Amino acid sequence: MATIDAPEDERETAGVGVGRGDEPLLSVEALTTAFYTDRETIRAVDGIGFDIHEGETLGIVGESGSGKSVTARSIMGLVESPGRIEPRSSVRFRGEELTDLSEKEYRTVRGGGIAMVFQDPLTSLNPVYTVGNQIKEALRLHQGLRGEEATERAIELLEAVSIPDAARRVEEYPHQFSGGMRQRAVIAMALACDPDLLICDEPTTALDVTIQAQILELLEDLQEERGLSILFITHDMGVIAEVSDRVAVMYAGETVESAPVEELFRSPKHPYTQGLLESIPGRHPDSDRLRTIEGDVPTPNAAATDCRFAPRCPEVFEDCHEVHPQPVAVGSGDEDHHAACLLYPEDTSRDAAVEHHVERKRERTGGEGE
Amino acid sequence: MSTTTAAEDAPSARRSEGEDLTLRERIAANPRPALTWGAVFALLVALEFGALASGLIVLTRTAVVGITAVIQVALEALRAPFEALGLEPVVGIVNDVLGVWETSQGRFPVTSEAGDISRDTVGKIAESKRHDAPKTFSLLWVQYQLSDFLFGLQHFTESVPTLLNREVIPNQGFKTGPAGPWKNTFLGLEPAAAWAVRATLVYVYAFLTMFWVFKAYNVYREHYRVADWTPRDDVVDRLRGHRWGQFGFVVVFMFVTMAVFAPTLGPTTAEANIESTYQNEVQYFDSESGQVEEVFVGQANAGAKSKGQGDQNVGPLSYDDYGRYHPFGTDVNGQDLFTFMVAGSRISLFVGLIAIGLSAFVAATLSLLSAYYKGLVDLATVIAADSVIALPQFLILIMVSVAFQGHWLSRVYSGGMLIALVFGLSGWPFLWRAVRGPSFQVAEEEWIDAAKSFGQRVPVTMRKHMLPYILGYLLVYGSMSLGGIIIATSALSFLGNGLGINPPTPEWGRAIAAGRNYVSTQSWHIATIPGVMIVLVVTAFNALGDGIRDAIDPESEGAEGGGAAAGGGG
Amino acid sequence: MSRWSYVLKRLVLAVPVLVFALTVTFMILYLGPLDPVTAVFGQEYNPSDALQLRKDLGLVRADGSPVPLWEQYIDFMVRLFTFNFGQSWVVASEVSVSTLIWNKVLPTVWLGFWSVIVALVVGLPLGFYAGLNPNTGGDYLASFGGIVWRAMPNFWLAVILAGAISQGGFLEGYRTWIIETQVIGTPRGTLETLLMDVELLGIAMPMVDPTNFFAAVKWILPAALVLGSSSMGNEMRIGRTAVLETINSNYVETARAKGVSSWKIVSKHVFRNAMVPLLPVIMGEFYLLIGGSVLVELIFNINGLGRLFISAAFGADVTVLGALLFIFVTMTLVFNIIQDILYTMIDPRVGYESE
Repeated sequence: MATIDAPEDERETAGVGVGRGDEPLLSVEALTTAFYTDRETIRAVDGIGFDIHEGETLGIVGESGSGKSVTARSIMGLVESPGRIEPRSSVRFRGEELTDLSEKEYRTVRGGGIAMVFQDPLTSLNPVYTVGNQIKEALRLHQGLRGEEATERAIELLEAVSIPDAARRVEEYPHQFSGGMRQRAVIAMALACDPDLLICDEPTTALDVTIQAQILELLEDLQEERGLSILFITHDMGVIAEVSDRVAVMYAGETVESAPVEELFRSPKHPYTQGLLESIPGRHPDSDRLRTIEGDVPTPNAAATDCRFAPRCPEVFEDCHEVHPQPVAVGSGDEDHHAACLLYPEDTSRDAAVEHHVERKRERTGGEGE
Repeated sequence: MSTTTAAEDAPSARRSEGEDLTLRERIAANPRPALTWGAVFALLVALEFGALASGLIVLTRTAVVGITAVIQVALEALRAPFEALGLEPVVGIVNDVLGVWETSQGRFPVTSEAGDISRDTVGKIAESKRHDAPKTFSLLWVQYQLSDFLFGLQHFTESVPTLLNREVIPNQGFKTGPAGPWKNTFLGLEPAAAWAVRATLVYVYAFLTMFWVFKAYNVYREHYRVADWTPRDDVVDRLRGHRWGQFGFVVVFMFVTMAVFAPTLGPTTAEANIESTYQNEVQYFDSESGQVEEVFVGQANAGAKSKGQGDQNVGPLSYDDYGRYHPFGTDVNGQDLFTFMVAGSRISLFVGLIAIGLSAFVAATLSLLSAYYKGLVDLATVIAADSVIALPQFLILIMVSVAFQGHWLSRVYSGGMLIALVFGLSGWPFLWRAVRGPSFQVAEEEWIDAAKSFGQRVPVTMRKHMLPYILGYLLVYGSMSLGGIIIATSALSFLGNGLGINPPTPEWGRAIAAGRNYVSTQSWHIATIPGVMIVLVVTAFNALGDGIRDAIDPESEGAEGGGAAAGGGG
Repeated sequence: MSRWSYVLKRLVLAVPVLVFALTVTFMILYLGPLDPVTAVFGQEYNPSDALQLRKDLGLVRADGSPVPLWEQYIDFMVRLFTFNFGQSWVVASEVSVSTLIWNKVLPTVWLGFWSVIVALVVGLPLGFYAGLNPNTGGDYLASFGGIVWRAMPNFWLAVILAGAISQGGFLEGYRTWIIETQVIGTPRGTLETLLMDVELLGIAMPMVDPTNFFAAVKWILPAALVLGSSSMGNEMRIGRTAVLETINSNYVETARAKGVSSWKIVSKHVFRNAMVPLLPVIMGEFYLLIGGSVLVELIFNINGLGRLFISAAFGADVTVLGALLFIFVTMTLVFNIIQDILYTMIDPRVGYESE
């Protein structure tokens, strides 16, 4: 059989891991987060895996409802009842397993090791405390700074995120800041903890385009200065192209494709990624109407037994409804580019490819079952 | 979601055809569902036509007297300064409009219709008092004539036989011997069972009718509505899933049913048992003399008092010595507490509805005006509202009640009208607060500018484009304030001394006052049952308000709903 | 600056509100059919005495001609605003209204104070608990309890509670619990002996007598519980919603993401934000106290301002009524302004959005 054996590390990380020599800063494996409500169980994140290395930016892209934000919250340990991270999931940060930590232990990681910037800068700051107060709260927690010292450090941080007149601004309340300013302040607050990894959950979505560009630039500068790793979550392909080193495409709780950013944009492999790229306005100047992907992201209620994109897929064939595709290398020479689609590996026959996916699925779940 | 697409997919030919037709034409095209519904509804109405019609007439008469009374008070207030200044011509004109004339003995008629003028049994103004009625066309003349006419009509409708009435299913009877069978009761049943049958049937009938009225919406939606989906469907769906709101609705509905069917529901009537006890008689089997005796209700009541000590107690679900069944026991005067409660529900509901209606009217008018004109109008409204709120409502109520003691207004509906008026005029700021925000919101909408731009008249703009938007909020907060009014009315009656609803008209608060000293005795029921009923009804009105709010404003549902939304995330 | 100009604006607005409210009071008392003179004399109507009273009340001039209404109005307003309340005619003949009110103020303040405390101490923690643990059994119990508690009429609750702790009631033991006290009646004696002189380091210092203090609290507690009942329910309900809204807000998630402990999140981030909607409810207690005290004082037989109001109303004692309403309205407005000041302190956005 002309199957391609997946590399050893890939077998564990279920997809995106790159075989670099060094230990990844963050390593996510088989992460499954489900929400249990009276009516149904929603597997918002369903067995995804990826690595982030030092100084690297991983972009996660997907439509709303694809599980991007829940992924970020799962890493931060912020999933609340009725949500639960399933037992077999693993999130390792600097080699330490986070999913086993107690709430108290997790708090030192939150902010200290990993910081997060949320989508809506207008509501991310507590309206009744000054911006300085909220930055100083983080400083006290993670760096033990108090009083004058903390104030000075807060002013420095505000300056670092290019807020003019920081000494005065530090005493002001969030409502006195504009939207862009507030997001800068939120970033300053995240930096106050001196994190190694910054998770940005759609940090620019609520801002207008010029401010958006400024914030992206700021993040880039900060990354250069501090050697930050960034997990950047967005639904905007344009933003992804600008900020990421590598990209993971999420669909209905799963990673459907992952690749270095140029590779992905140059030759998208998964029909969903292709569709996403097609739908960017201006990619087809000759066409008089915008291309879209018909239909909605399905809500995953149970472990997948088929391809969740099949109902919307233009290249769907029979096996798509029978076999759950696994992330595999798209071709023999392309170990860094994975897609979870029965069309791949592309250098084998279709039947062989399907068989390969079935085999991979058995390998992954077989170990878990016993 | 899917229904909208269905609407889009529907054959456009059919849609445009349907849109052009009026509802009447659509029914004509497919009359079957409408006719079926209508036939059943007609049957339901026919069964209880007398009771329903008389209820409707009472409401109409209330409205007539209420509206004319308000105008009358306003005109009298207007007349006062002119009188003080001695401007006789103006006073004369006001008197002419009112329909009053002056003689050396004073001003006639001094009272409003519903006050002092005696009535005969038919309810018509007694002949001897007729000369007191206004003679020329005027406000009071209209009031007298309309009210007289409606009284006659009411009397007539009450004589129309209904299925569920005390004559068809009687529960008052007497034993023929010490253990002998009951006579004069329904099928010879025990009075308790006969009463239970009647009360149950009344509620079954009421719920059936309600169900059938809701059914009309479904019939309309299924067969006659052009659109497959409207936002109202979502509101109805949300209400269907709202258990708390449904609880409220059911209890409120039972309360309203109680008020509407008050004369039928009680084991006896307020008229016979409470108001004219010495014009009615009761037959019972006297074990001492060994035969059936006949006494006045008043005498029977005197022997059936609940006063705590010794054997002076007729508790809930028991008989008194005269073979009369008392579901809630008797009160300190030996009157049937259930009958008292049932009759009392009428006045509570009446006061609540009038007050809320008036408040809602003032609140809506002011909030729309201030939202439309803003600026000074708004400022004036804010100051007026703040001033009214700054006045302690309950104390004002006491003060006004005292001030108007002896005035004809305090006799209209046993004082209920005065309370309702004070509540209406002092309660509007609470509703106004609730609708001011939404009013300003809707005033910002583009369709208001559009209406302005093509020269729509201001009142029309407000009524057609702004009012519907705030109506839901009025309903929500009106329902919630209704509880407070019921509580305050009973509190006033509890205080007594001419405050609140005047005896002998039953009011729940007065039962609590009567049973006050017996709470820790075996006659605990007198104060406890009315209190529990108030709590239940007030809670239900609040729950109903909650339910409607969550249904029309799903945003607020999210705040209460909790975690389920987190799954969507992104 | 803009925050304090907001408070100033509210302060300025309070003046027309007070004038307007007092005008309404005047209209009810002087324009309505109420006749204080008949109320004073009742059956024994003596024309010359009545005329004298009319003169004293300022209804009639010295020469017997009636004083025009607008003059009565000006007089009424001026007297109130200069705290010249005049004297009572019916309730306590020819006693100055100020003395009358001053004599009754202590029990009412004591009652009101404890009703606020009881409502806060029970209502707020329960509401917060329910909000922090939504959709649990405890939440349902607290929410439902709050709703029913709020729907209970004060006077009925008072009747039931007074019955329950009276002889033969199921809470009869309350009277003798720890120390024997009354529960019905005015705790005047106990209140007046609340302070005892203690010699401390050779200096006589007023100190609270613990036994008397406890007795006075125990005495008033049932009445205070009734008076605070609806506020308690309100605080529970609004507290729950406010906490729930705050705890699900983005800034709380941001705070959690920076590693703030759960306790700190509740005590710092949730509490202050939740106080914003709660503030009017807490300050609104005062408003409920005014109306409620009438009924509660009557049923628990406490000789305070509420009882005074009732007797003044039944007796048509216009001077006492006017003075009491002036005090109540002024107090309400003062509390409103305190609320506005607290608002601007708690929420920096106040005054910002409205401009």
